[in-house]
Amino acid sequence: MARASHPHAMAPTRPGRTRTAAPMMPAQFPLSGRYFTYTLFGATGALYLLAGLVALRVIWALGSGPAAWQSVMTQLAHPLYVLFHLVTLAAVIFVGVRFFRLFPKAQPAKIGPAKPPPQPVLHVMLYVIWVAVSGGLALVLAGGIF
Amino acid sequence: MAENRKTFVVTRFDPDRDEAPRKQSYEVPVQPDWKVLDGLNYIKDELDGSLSHRWSCRMAVCGSCGMMVNGKPSLTCKDPLSNYGDKVDVAPLANFPVVRDLVIDLDGFMEKLQKVKPWIIVAKEKAVEEGTYRQSPEELEYFRQFSMCINCMLCYSACPVVGNEPEFLGPAAIALGHRYNMDSRDEGQHERNEVFRGEGTVFACSYANECSEVCPKHVDPAAAVNQSKINAVIDWATSFVVPRGGK
Amino acid sequence: MEVIRHDIVIVGGGGAGIRAAIAAVEASPDASVAMVSKVYPMRSHTVSAEGGAAAVARSDDSLEMHGYDTVKGSDFLGDQDVIQYFVEQAPKELTLLEHWGCPWSRNEDGTVATRAFGGMSTKRTWYAADKVGFHMLHSLFQHSLRFDRIVRYDEQFVTKLLVDGGAVRGVASLDVREGVVRAILGRAVILATGGAGKIFPFTTNGNIKTGDGMALAYRAGVPLKDMEFVQYHPTGLPGTGILITEATRGEGGHLKNAEGERFLVTRDYGVGTKAELGPRDMISRAIVQEIEAGRGVKGPYGEYVHLDLTHLGEAAIDKKLPMVRELAKIYAGVDPVYEPIPIRPVVHYMMGGVDTDIDGATSLPGLYAAGEVACVSLNGANRLGSNSLTECLVFGARAGREAVRYAAGTDAGGEAASRQQAEEESARLASARDARSGSEKLSQLRRELNRTMESGCGVYREQASMDETVRTLAQLKQRMSEVRLEDSSTVFNTEITAALELDNMLEVAEALAVSAAHRRESRGAHTRRDAPTRDDHNYLYHTLCYYDAAGPRLGRKDVTLGKWVPEERKY
Repeated sequence: MARASHPHAMAPTRPGRTRTAAPMMPAQFPLSGRYFTYTLFGATGALYLLAGLVALRVIWALGSGPAAWQSVMTQLAHPLYVLFHLVTLAAVIFVGVRFFRLFPKAQPAKIGPAKPPPQPVLHVMLYVIWVAVSGGLALVLAGGIF
Repeated sequence: MAENRKTFVVTRFDPDRDEAPRKQSYEVPVQPDWKVLDGLNYIKDELDGSLSHRWSCRMAVCGSCGMMVNGKPSLTCKDPLSNYGDKVDVAPLANFPVVRDLVIDLDGFMEKLQKVKPWIIVAKEKAVEEGTYRQSPEELEYFRQFSMCINCMLCYSACPVVGNEPEFLGPAAIALGHRYNMDSRDEGQHERNEVFRGEGTVFACSYANECSEVCPKHVDPAAAVNQSKINAVIDWATSFVVPRGGK
Repeated sequence: MEVIRHDIVIVGGGGAGIRAAIAAVEASPDASVAMVSKVYPMRSHTVSAEGGAAAVARSDDSLEMHGYDTVKGSDFLGDQDVIQYFVEQAPKELTLLEHWGCPWSRNEDGTVATRAFGGMSTKRTWYAADKVGFHMLHSLFQHSLRFDRIVRYDEQFVTKLLVDGGAVRGVASLDVREGVVRAILGRAVILATGGAGKIFPFTTNGNIKTGDGMALAYRAGVPLKDMEFVQYHPTGLPGTGILITEATRGEGGHLKNAEGERFLVTRDYGVGTKAELGPRDMISRAIVQEIEAGRGVKGPYGEYVHLDLTHLGEAAIDKKLPMVRELAKIYAGVDPVYEPIPIRPVVHYMMGGVDTDIDGATSLPGLYAAGEVACVSLNGANRLGSNSLTECLVFGARAGREAVRYAAGTDAGGEAASRQQAEEESARLASARDARSGSEKLSQLRRELNRTMESGCGVYREQASMDETVRTLAQLKQRMSEVRLEDSSTVFNTEITAALELDNMLEVAEALAVSAAHRRESRGAHTRRDAPTRDDHNYLYHTLCYYDAAGPRLGRKDVTLGKWVPEERKY
């Protein structure tokens, strides 16, 4: 069953000269075909919100002394928290891959005199940078550097 | 030639008589090389003269015949019936108000097209006597792909943002504005980028990419919209640094 | 009766119509221009043109050469003053279009590229890959959006010219969406509605090419000129009739029969060394003769010959003929990089049309016409490929300017007569829409129209079948009054518009058949088996055809000769 679009979707500014039937969303929206992936992509926002709240809690604990810190670290070791973080990691990878596929074609052919590298090169570069930054950050957090 | 029959389930809507759109079925004998449009024309010519639909060129260049076929946007003169099984559901384009049967109101689209100022903007008009602008094949290539849009509006039907945010300029209009922004002869980027940051903002695009998936002319409007985001930001940032001449 | 008032009313929103609108607003600081079209402008059939638009561009070319090629191509029936003006204006118009954003294909040095085309002695066809009509139409339309004084009336079907005091005062127009008739008044009216290929069964033309403007002028007493000259484009896809551009031959494609023979080279079809780049009428005849001689390839839609591009290479095809490749794959199931394309001659263009002078003015004061609807006459008995897009621009612009000049010197006059006529139209259409008791089916009548035009007015004609066609058309016109319509809705009723289009097509077809039957010679695209040679002594004139309730009445108009004296047309 198709859903209705916004009642004014694609409506002209002056009212239509004859009575029209309401605009409808495409039948597969939001949970069929490729729209499912798109909806999921947007829905991962909920995970980031939660992850943000967790991060705030950790930072709060950081400023509340070693006992508070140790308490938070123990809580975060709980299997449900670990599961949550694994799911969030999967979401981030999903969003990253999807975004990286879009990024090369989103670069204008030139900006002033500057031209981007060829699209396939750009696509690979994004993964290289991602892995390098993730690896570096992981080392820092694990106490390997600093 | 082998004859096959398919059932066309067609959306009908006559505002003089119908409260809301309804479905009507037709048995159509189809030829193997027919497109969906050939089936619709058969219905109109032989079975039911009251079916209204738009079509003209039948060679995928005029953009008239866009409709939803089995739930997906389709350019019906290009879409082979052999892609479909025994049942072919034909409905008017999604996200548009419906005027009659398979005919949608495209005045909203025409307004959006106008908003992006789709013409060459120059400070000083070039005289005919000066001859043509020099434009290298490379410079032509910067915008050529985005100039291929036939205004069939399949992208508007596919785009979830178009369906939810009425002010959004939409893929084809933004791609057309971008086409002019990337044309070496044009000097109107600042004006268009202001439009792109304005009410119909390009930033409403949330990367569904459906527009490019359904485009029958390989325009890749998703690329145009997202390139426009970058251009619009750079234009905004440089406006603090670069003085703009009055027009 | 709602009355809308403008200074100029343009009927048709294609290449010629939009160009006229732009010229009109530029020629006057305050003229308001109505552009009334039965489709949104980007759907106009200009959009489907593929190959290119001609204008002198290279240093090895001259206006003289372009003029001579056009005169000779017309088989000496083109008016030489018109041709002279045309070749002079052509480069200016294409340059203007370039300034307006048209993405012409380029040479490495940034200048506009040109390609070879049929009947042209050198490369002078400007092109935009193989989508010139699409790019021209969209560039023109988008440029026109900057003018507030061009007011568009989209999906309005003009059914009648409103005439009062011997001059045109506007049009009666059916709003397709609302189902109401309005009077759109203007001091001048320009017809730019294109040709009428849909009277034939096999045509490159889209559904909208039904000769509406020709019929409007014809019924208002303006003669149609040179209607017998119908261009068969040599290369259309069998079955659909979809156009495969002449540029395929301009870029080096070959035509071959079933035996793989390049028959334009091995046999004498009058094209000499030009071979595949000969003029369209000669090439179409050659293909028909090859098929009649049994050397055609047999297919499900009749016989055809091959257009071979395989030797051009994938890179060249993708760069210069990308749309051709797509069309061949989608509509013929063939990839031209690897296989030849099946093609046969297909109705493409009408050289004839509303009789106008060089300004685009008709015999009805205030009525102008430009583009394919008009016969100015640029193309005489046969048009060279790539001249007609330029024609739309040159004569669209001239008609726009002349209409403004005329309107400035005319007073709008009283509206009573126009209102009355529009009201009569409204009543006529309302009762036509309620025609539920007849016995004839629209699609059947259309099929019979197509069949009789194909049999009597095809590539090769003869007296008996032309006369039969004239009789059949008269009967079909009578049977139209018995047509039964199924759609009684007022909103977006496309059955009533189809009926109006069929009415128009029958008038145009009748004018064509009667004109063809009387011209007992072969000239340009009008070829008769029973009169196979050109007869300048008796037939060097333009045929005029006037509407008359008792049957079309013929007349004649002199050809404006000039420095090029009619000679034998050999290539």
